[in-house]
Amino acid sequence: MEPLDEDAKLMLRYRDGDATAFSALYSRHKGPLYRYLLRQVRNAGVAADLFQDVWSRLVATRGRYEARAKFATYLYRIAHNCTMDFFRRASRLHPAAADDSDAPAAEPEVPESQRPDVIAEFAEQQSALLAAVSALPQEQREAFLLHEETGLTIEEIARVTDVGVETAKSRLRYAVRKLKKSLLPAAFPDARPVRTLNAST
Amino acid sequence: MHPPDDLDEYLRGDSALSCQYRRESAPAPPPALDRRVLEMSRAAGELAAGDSTAPHDSHTPRSVRAASAAPPCLAPLAFAASVLTSVALVLAIVFGPQSAKRVDDAPRVVRVVAHAELPQPYTNNSKAARAPSVWLADIAALRRAGRNREADEELRRFRTAYPTYPVYPAYSAAIRP
Repeated sequence: MEPLDEDAKLMLRYRDGDATAFSALYSRHKGPLYRYLLRQVRNAGVAADLFQDVWSRLVATRGRYEARAKFATYLYRIAHNCTMDFFRRASRLHPAAADDSDAPAAEPEVPESQRPDVIAEFAEQQSALLAAVSALPQEQREAFLLHEETGLTIEEIARVTDVGVETAKSRLRYAVRKLKKSLLPAAFPDARPVRTLNAST
Repeated sequence: MHPPDDLDEYLRGDSALSCQYRRESAPAPPPALDRRVLEMSRAAGELAAGDSTAPHDSHTPRSVRAASAAPPCLAPLAFAASVLTSVALVLAIVFGPQSAKRVDDAPRVVRVVAHAELPQPYTNNSKAARAPSVWLADIAALRRAGRNREADEELRRFRTAYPTYPVYPAYSAAIRP
Protein backbone atom coordinates (compact mmCIF):
# COMPACT_ATOMS: atom_id res chain seq x y z
CA MET A 1 0.00 0.00 0.00
CA GLU A 2 1.22 3.50 -0.90
CA PRO A 3 2.22 5.79 1.95
CA LEU A 4 -0.23 8.61 2.62
CA ASP A 5 0.60 11.90 0.98
CA GLU A 6 0.65 15.03 3.11
CA ASP A 7 -2.67 16.25 1.73
CA ALA A 8 -4.37 12.98 2.56
CA LYS A 9 -3.11 13.25 6.14
CA LEU A 10 -4.49 16.78 6.32
CA MET A 11 -7.82 15.63 4.96
CA LEU A 12 -7.98 12.83 7.53
CA ARG A 13 -7.28 15.36 10.26
CA TYR A 14 -9.99 17.60 8.88
CA ARG A 15 -12.40 14.66 8.71
CA ASP A 16 -11.68 14.02 12.37
CA GLY A 17 -12.51 17.58 13.35
CA ASP A 18 -9.29 19.58 12.96
CA ALA A 19 -10.46 22.79 11.30
CA THR A 20 -6.94 24.11 10.79
CA ALA A 21 -6.22 21.19 8.49
CA PHE A 22 -8.83 22.52 6.10
CA SER A 23 -7.14 25.91 5.92
CA ALA A 24 -3.86 24.22 5.08
CA LEU A 25 -5.46 22.08 2.41
CA TYR A 26 -7.28 25.05 1.00
CA SER A 27 -4.20 27.23 0.72
CA ARG A 28 -2.31 24.41 -1.01
CA HIS A 29 -4.95 23.67 -3.61
CA LYS A 30 -6.92 26.84 -4.13
CA GLY A 31 -4.72 28.27 -6.90
CA PRO A 32 -4.41 25.15 -9.08
CA LEU A 33 -8.07 24.29 -8.59
CA TYR A 34 -9.20 27.80 -9.48
CA ARG A 35 -7.08 27.82 -12.63
CA TYR A 36 -8.29 24.35 -13.59
CA LEU A 37 -11.89 25.53 -13.33
CA LEU A 38 -11.28 28.94 -14.90
CA ARG A 39 -9.51 27.49 -17.90
CA GLN A 40 -12.02 24.71 -18.23
CA VAL A 41 -15.16 26.84 -18.28
CA ARG A 42 -13.45 30.00 -19.58
CA ASN A 43 -15.57 32.34 -17.51
CA ALA A 44 -14.55 33.87 -14.19
CA GLY A 45 -18.07 34.02 -12.74
CA VAL A 46 -18.84 30.40 -13.52
CA ALA A 47 -15.41 29.35 -12.28
CA ALA A 48 -16.01 31.11 -8.96
CA ASP A 49 -19.37 29.36 -8.54
CA LEU A 50 -17.89 25.96 -9.34
CA PHE A 51 -14.91 26.64 -7.07
CA GLN A 52 -17.24 27.21 -4.15
CA ASP A 53 -19.28 24.19 -5.17
CA VAL A 54 -16.24 21.91 -5.14
CA TRP A 55 -15.16 22.99 -1.67
CA SER A 56 -18.72 22.74 -0.40
CA ARG A 57 -18.93 19.16 -1.57
CA LEU A 58 -15.57 18.36 -0.06
CA VAL A 59 -16.73 19.77 3.27
CA ALA A 60 -20.07 17.98 3.07
CA THR A 61 -18.56 14.58 2.30
CA ARG A 62 -15.57 14.81 4.62
CA GLY A 63 -17.06 12.23 6.99
CA ARG A 64 -16.82 9.58 4.28
CA TYR A 65 -13.29 10.36 3.18
CA GLU A 66 -10.88 7.45 3.08
CA ALA A 67 -7.30 7.91 2.01
CA ARG A 68 -7.29 5.29 -0.71
CA ALA A 69 -5.44 7.39 -3.26
CA LYS A 70 -3.69 10.70 -3.63
CA PHE A 71 -5.82 13.49 -2.17
CA ALA A 72 -5.60 15.46 -5.43
CA THR A 73 -7.44 12.70 -7.30
CA TYR A 74 -10.24 12.94 -4.72
CA LEU A 75 -10.45 16.72 -4.96
CA TYR A 76 -10.26 16.84 -8.74
CA ARG A 77 -12.75 14.06 -9.10
CA ILE A 78 -15.23 16.34 -7.34
CA ALA A 79 -14.09 19.23 -9.54
CA HIS A 80 -14.48 17.11 -12.66
CA ASN A 81 -18.01 16.12 -11.63
CA CYS A 82 -18.97 19.73 -10.91
CA THR A 83 -17.59 20.82 -14.27
CA MET A 84 -19.38 18.04 -16.12
CA ASP A 85 -22.61 18.95 -14.32
CA PHE A 86 -22.16 22.49 -15.52
CA PHE A 87 -21.55 21.47 -19.13
CA ARG A 88 -24.46 19.04 -18.99
CA ARG A 89 -26.81 21.69 -17.60
CA ALA A 90 -25.66 24.13 -20.24
CA SER A 91 -26.19 21.62 -23.01
CA ARG A 92 -29.66 20.74 -21.71
CA LEU A 93 -30.73 24.36 -21.55
CA HIS A 94 -29.01 25.32 -24.77
CA PRO A 95 -28.14 22.33 -26.94
CA ALA A 96 -25.30 24.08 -28.75
CA ALA A 97 -23.75 25.54 -25.61
CA ALA A 98 -21.69 22.65 -24.39
CA ASP A 99 -20.75 21.42 -27.82
CA ASP A 100 -17.08 21.89 -27.30
CA SER A 101 -15.96 19.83 -30.22
CA ASP A 102 -14.20 21.18 -33.25
CA ALA A 103 -17.43 21.15 -35.22
CA PRO A 104 -19.02 24.57 -35.66
CA ALA A 105 -22.11 25.19 -33.57
CA ALA A 106 -25.32 25.37 -35.56
CA GLU A 107 -27.49 26.86 -32.82
CA PRO A 108 -26.82 30.53 -32.17
CA GLU A 109 -28.46 30.71 -28.74
CA VAL A 110 -26.02 29.69 -26.01
CA PRO A 111 -25.68 30.71 -22.37
CA GLU A 112 -23.89 33.95 -21.75
CA SER A 113 -20.88 32.28 -20.20
CA GLN A 114 -20.30 29.91 -23.11
CA ARG A 115 -21.05 32.16 -26.04
CA PRO A 116 -18.29 31.96 -28.64
CA ASP A 117 -17.68 35.71 -28.51
CA VAL A 118 -17.37 35.63 -24.71
CA ILE A 119 -14.93 32.74 -24.95
CA ALA A 120 -13.05 34.51 -27.72
CA GLU A 121 -12.83 37.59 -25.52
CA PHE A 122 -11.53 35.42 -22.70
CA ALA A 123 -8.95 33.91 -25.02
CA GLU A 124 -7.98 37.34 -26.35
CA GLN A 125 -6.97 38.41 -22.86
CA GLN A 126 -4.58 35.46 -22.63
CA SER A 127 -1.20 34.77 -24.10
CA ALA A 128 -0.97 32.73 -27.27
CA LEU A 129 -0.40 29.57 -25.25
CA LEU A 130 -3.34 30.12 -22.95
CA ALA A 131 -5.49 31.02 -25.92
CA ALA A 132 -4.46 27.72 -27.48
CA VAL A 133 -5.33 25.91 -24.24
CA SER A 134 -8.68 27.63 -24.30
CA ALA A 135 -9.27 26.50 -27.87
CA LEU A 136 -8.63 22.81 -27.12
CA PRO A 137 -11.59 20.43 -27.06
CA GLN A 138 -12.83 20.11 -23.49
CA GLU A 139 -11.48 16.61 -22.78
CA GLN A 140 -8.03 17.44 -24.09
CA ARG A 141 -8.03 20.74 -22.22
CA GLU A 142 -8.95 18.96 -19.02
CA ALA A 143 -6.23 16.33 -19.39
CA PHE A 144 -3.63 19.01 -19.99
CA LEU A 145 -4.79 21.17 -17.08
CA LEU A 146 -4.91 18.24 -14.70
CA HIS A 147 -1.34 17.36 -15.53
CA GLU A 148 0.01 20.90 -15.48
CA GLU A 149 -1.85 22.25 -12.48
CA THR A 150 -1.74 19.22 -10.24
CA GLY A 151 0.99 16.97 -11.58
CA LEU A 152 -1.39 14.04 -11.89
CA THR A 153 -0.09 11.08 -13.86
CA ILE A 154 -1.94 9.65 -16.82
CA GLU A 155 -3.35 6.87 -14.63
CA GLU A 156 -4.59 9.45 -12.12
CA ILE A 157 -6.07 11.61 -14.87
CA ALA A 158 -7.88 8.54 -16.15
CA ARG A 159 -9.26 7.90 -12.66
CA VAL A 160 -10.36 11.50 -12.19
CA THR A 161 -12.08 11.71 -15.56
CA ASP A 162 -13.46 8.19 -15.38
CA VAL A 163 -11.97 6.95 -18.64
CA GLY A 164 -9.46 4.29 -19.56
CA VAL A 165 -5.75 4.94 -19.32
CA GLU A 166 -5.33 4.77 -23.08
CA THR A 167 -8.08 7.33 -23.58
CA ALA A 168 -6.52 9.70 -21.09
CA LYS A 169 -3.14 9.21 -22.73
CA SER A 170 -4.56 9.89 -26.16
CA ARG A 171 -6.29 13.07 -24.97
CA LEU A 172 -3.11 14.36 -23.42
CA ARG A 173 -1.10 13.47 -26.49
CA TYR A 174 -3.44 15.39 -28.79
CA ALA A 175 -3.42 18.35 -26.42
CA VAL A 176 0.37 18.43 -26.30
CA ARG A 177 0.68 18.20 -30.06
CA LYS A 178 -1.72 21.09 -30.61
CA LEU A 179 -0.16 23.24 -27.90
CA LYS A 180 3.33 22.66 -29.15
CA LYS A 181 2.27 24.12 -32.45
CA SER A 182 1.16 27.27 -30.64
CA LEU A 183 4.68 27.63 -29.26
CA LEU A 184 6.28 27.54 -32.69
CA PRO A 185 5.61 31.19 -33.60
CA ALA A 186 7.50 32.28 -30.47
CA ALA A 187 10.52 30.34 -31.57
CA PHE A 188 10.21 31.68 -35.12
CA PRO A 189 8.75 35.18 -34.81
CA ASP A 190 8.42 35.60 -38.56
CA ALA A 191 6.03 32.71 -38.61
CA ARG A 192 3.72 34.20 -35.96
CA PRO A 193 0.21 34.15 -37.37
CA VAL A 194 -1.75 37.38 -37.42
CA ARG A 195 -4.54 37.22 -34.88
CA THR A 196 -7.41 38.67 -36.80
CA LEU A 197 -9.48 39.85 -33.84
CA ASN A 198 -6.92 42.33 -32.57
CA ALA A 199 -4.97 42.88 -35.74
CA SER A 200 -5.82 46.57 -35.73
CA THR A 201 -4.48 47.16 -32.22
CA MET B 1 0.62 7.23 -35.68
CA HIS B 2 1.93 9.83 -33.27
CA PRO B 3 5.62 10.51 -32.98
CA PRO B 4 6.72 8.40 -30.00
CA ASP B 5 8.65 11.11 -28.21
CA ASP B 6 6.00 13.86 -28.15
CA LEU B 7 4.18 12.80 -25.04
CA ASP B 8 7.13 11.12 -23.37
CA GLU B 9 9.18 14.26 -23.58
CA TYR B 10 6.30 16.28 -22.19
CA LEU B 11 5.70 13.86 -19.34
CA ARG B 12 9.30 14.17 -18.20
CA GLY B 13 8.28 17.62 -17.01
CA ASP B 14 10.97 19.79 -18.54
CA SER B 15 9.42 20.34 -21.97
CA ALA B 16 9.27 23.81 -23.51
CA LEU B 17 5.50 23.57 -23.27
CA SER B 18 5.51 23.03 -19.51
CA CYS B 19 8.13 25.74 -18.98
CA GLN B 20 6.09 28.20 -21.01
CA TYR B 21 2.87 27.29 -19.20
CA ARG B 22 4.52 27.86 -15.82
CA ARG B 23 5.66 31.29 -16.94
CA GLU B 24 2.09 32.32 -17.66
CA SER B 25 0.07 34.37 -15.22
CA ALA B 26 -1.42 32.31 -12.44
CA PRO B 27 -4.76 33.76 -11.43
CA ALA B 28 -5.93 32.93 -7.93
CA PRO B 29 -9.41 33.04 -6.43
CA PRO B 30 -10.49 36.54 -5.39
CA PRO B 31 -10.18 37.27 -1.64
CA ALA B 32 -13.96 37.45 -1.29
CA LEU B 33 -14.21 33.91 -2.62
CA ASP B 34 -11.51 32.77 -0.20
CA ARG B 35 -13.49 34.25 2.65
CA ARG B 36 -16.71 32.57 1.53
CA VAL B 37 -15.11 29.13 1.31
CA LEU B 38 -13.31 29.40 4.63
CA GLU B 39 -16.43 30.75 6.29
CA MET B 40 -18.46 27.88 4.87
CA SER B 41 -15.96 25.38 6.23
CA ARG B 42 -15.97 27.03 9.63
CA ALA B 43 -19.78 27.06 9.76
CA ALA B 44 -19.87 23.38 8.82
CA GLY B 45 -17.42 22.60 11.59
CA GLU B 46 -19.49 24.50 14.14
CA LEU B 47 -22.65 22.74 13.04
CA ALA B 48 -20.97 19.36 13.30
CA ALA B 49 -19.62 20.20 16.75
CA GLY B 50 -22.93 21.65 17.90
CA ASP B 51 -25.58 19.12 17.02
CA SER B 52 -23.97 16.75 14.55
CA THR B 53 -26.26 17.88 11.76
CA ALA B 54 -25.01 18.27 8.23
CA PRO B 55 -23.75 21.57 6.88
CA HIS B 56 -26.58 23.49 5.26
CA ASP B 57 -24.89 24.79 2.15
CA SER B 58 -27.11 24.92 -0.85
CA HIS B 59 -24.45 23.57 -3.19
CA THR B 60 -24.33 20.18 -1.54
CA PRO B 61 -26.90 17.62 -2.64
CA ARG B 62 -29.32 16.70 0.12
CA SER B 63 -28.36 13.04 -0.01
CA VAL B 64 -24.70 13.91 0.47
CA ARG B 65 -25.53 16.23 3.34
CA ALA B 66 -27.58 13.54 5.01
CA ALA B 67 -24.89 10.93 4.54
CA SER B 68 -22.16 13.15 5.89
CA ALA B 69 -24.22 14.19 8.89
CA ALA B 70 -24.63 10.71 10.26
CA PRO B 71 -21.72 9.41 12.29
CA PRO B 72 -20.36 6.13 10.84
CA CYS B 73 -21.57 4.13 13.86
CA LEU B 74 -25.17 4.94 12.95
CA ALA B 75 -24.89 3.42 9.52
CA PRO B 76 -25.94 -0.14 10.59
CA LEU B 77 -28.90 1.31 12.50
CA ALA B 78 -29.93 3.34 9.47
CA PHE B 79 -29.66 0.26 7.30
CA ALA B 80 -31.73 -1.82 9.72
CA ALA B 81 -34.36 0.91 9.88
CA SER B 82 -34.64 1.08 6.12
CA VAL B 83 -34.95 -2.73 5.89
CA LEU B 84 -37.72 -2.70 8.52
CA THR B 85 -39.52 0.08 6.68
CA SER B 86 -39.30 -1.83 3.41
CA VAL B 87 -40.62 -5.03 5.00
CA ALA B 88 -43.47 -3.12 6.64
CA LEU B 89 -44.31 -1.55 3.30
CA VAL B 90 -44.39 -4.91 1.55
CA LEU B 91 -46.58 -6.42 4.31
CA ALA B 92 -48.92 -3.45 4.10
CA ILE B 93 -49.27 -3.92 0.36
CA VAL B 94 -49.87 -7.68 0.60
CA PHE B 95 -52.12 -7.85 3.68
CA GLY B 96 -53.30 -4.29 4.09
CA PRO B 97 -56.44 -2.45 2.95
CA GLN B 98 -55.48 -3.01 -0.68
CA SER B 99 -56.18 -6.74 -0.35
CA ALA B 100 -59.54 -6.06 1.29
CA LYS B 101 -60.33 -3.81 -1.60
CA ARG B 102 -59.48 -6.61 -3.99
CA VAL B 103 -62.11 -8.81 -2.28
CA ASP B 104 -64.56 -6.00 -2.95
CA ASP B 105 -63.87 -6.07 -6.68
CA ALA B 106 -66.61 -8.48 -7.65
CA PRO B 107 -69.56 -6.29 -6.56
CA ARG B 108 -67.97 -3.44 -8.43
CA VAL B 109 -68.18 -5.37 -11.66
CA VAL B 110 -71.88 -5.84 -10.98
CA ARG B 111 -72.27 -2.12 -10.44
CA VAL B 112 -70.60 -1.39 -13.75
CA VAL B 113 -72.98 -3.74 -15.52
CA ALA B 114 -75.90 -2.02 -13.82
CA HIS B 115 -74.70 1.34 -15.16
CA ALA B 116 -74.41 -0.12 -18.61
CA GLU B 117 -78.05 -1.13 -18.45
CA LEU B 118 -79.25 2.38 -17.71
CA PRO B 119 -81.20 4.05 -20.46
CA GLN B 120 -78.78 5.72 -22.79
CA PRO B 121 -79.28 9.04 -24.60
CA TYR B 122 -82.32 11.18 -25.16
CA THR B 123 -83.44 11.38 -21.57
CA ASN B 124 -84.14 14.53 -19.67
CA ASN B 125 -80.99 14.20 -17.68
CA SER B 126 -78.82 13.11 -20.58
CA LYS B 127 -77.30 16.60 -20.71
CA ALA B 128 -75.37 15.88 -17.59
CA ALA B 129 -73.80 12.78 -19.12
CA ARG B 130 -73.03 14.20 -22.55
CA ALA B 131 -70.56 16.73 -23.68
CA PRO B 132 -71.96 19.26 -26.18
CA SER B 133 -70.05 17.79 -29.10
CA VAL B 134 -71.32 14.30 -28.27
CA TRP B 135 -74.83 15.62 -27.91
CA LEU B 136 -74.64 17.31 -31.32
CA ALA B 137 -73.34 14.08 -32.87
CA ASP B 138 -76.31 12.23 -31.37
CA ILE B 139 -78.70 14.80 -32.85
CA ALA B 140 -77.05 14.47 -36.24
CA ALA B 141 -77.34 10.68 -35.99
CA LEU B 142 -81.06 10.98 -35.19
CA ARG B 143 -81.49 13.28 -38.17
CA ARG B 144 -79.67 10.89 -40.48
CA ALA B 145 -81.91 8.06 -39.23
CA GLY B 146 -85.00 10.09 -40.13
CA ARG B 147 -86.07 10.45 -36.48
CA ASN B 148 -86.68 14.15 -36.94
CA ARG B 149 -89.14 14.66 -34.11
CA GLU B 150 -86.68 13.25 -31.60
CA ALA B 151 -83.92 15.26 -33.21
CA ASP B 152 -85.93 18.47 -32.89
CA GLU B 153 -86.67 17.73 -29.26
CA GLU B 154 -82.99 17.00 -28.54
CA LEU B 155 -81.92 20.16 -30.33
CA ARG B 156 -84.34 22.18 -28.22
CA ARG B 157 -82.94 20.62 -25.05
CA PHE B 158 -79.44 21.17 -26.27
CA ARG B 159 -80.10 24.86 -26.89
CA THR B 160 -81.65 25.20 -23.47
CA ALA B 161 -78.65 23.58 -21.86
CA TYR B 162 -75.97 25.26 -23.95
CA PRO B 163 -77.43 28.47 -25.32
CA THR B 164 -74.08 29.95 -26.33
CA TYR B 165 -72.37 26.83 -27.63
CA PRO B 166 -71.05 27.61 -31.12
CA VAL B 167 -72.31 25.24 -33.80
CA TYR B 168 -70.19 25.44 -36.91
CA PRO B 169 -72.07 25.82 -40.25
CA ALA B 170 -71.10 22.39 -41.54
CA TYR B 171 -72.46 20.75 -38.41
CA SER B 172 -75.41 23.01 -38.35
CA ALA B 173 -76.73 21.49 -41.57
CA ALA B 174 -76.48 18.03 -40.09
CA ILE B 175 -78.50 18.77 -36.96
CA ARG B 176 -81.16 21.06 -38.38
CA PRO B 177 -84.25 19.86 -40.26
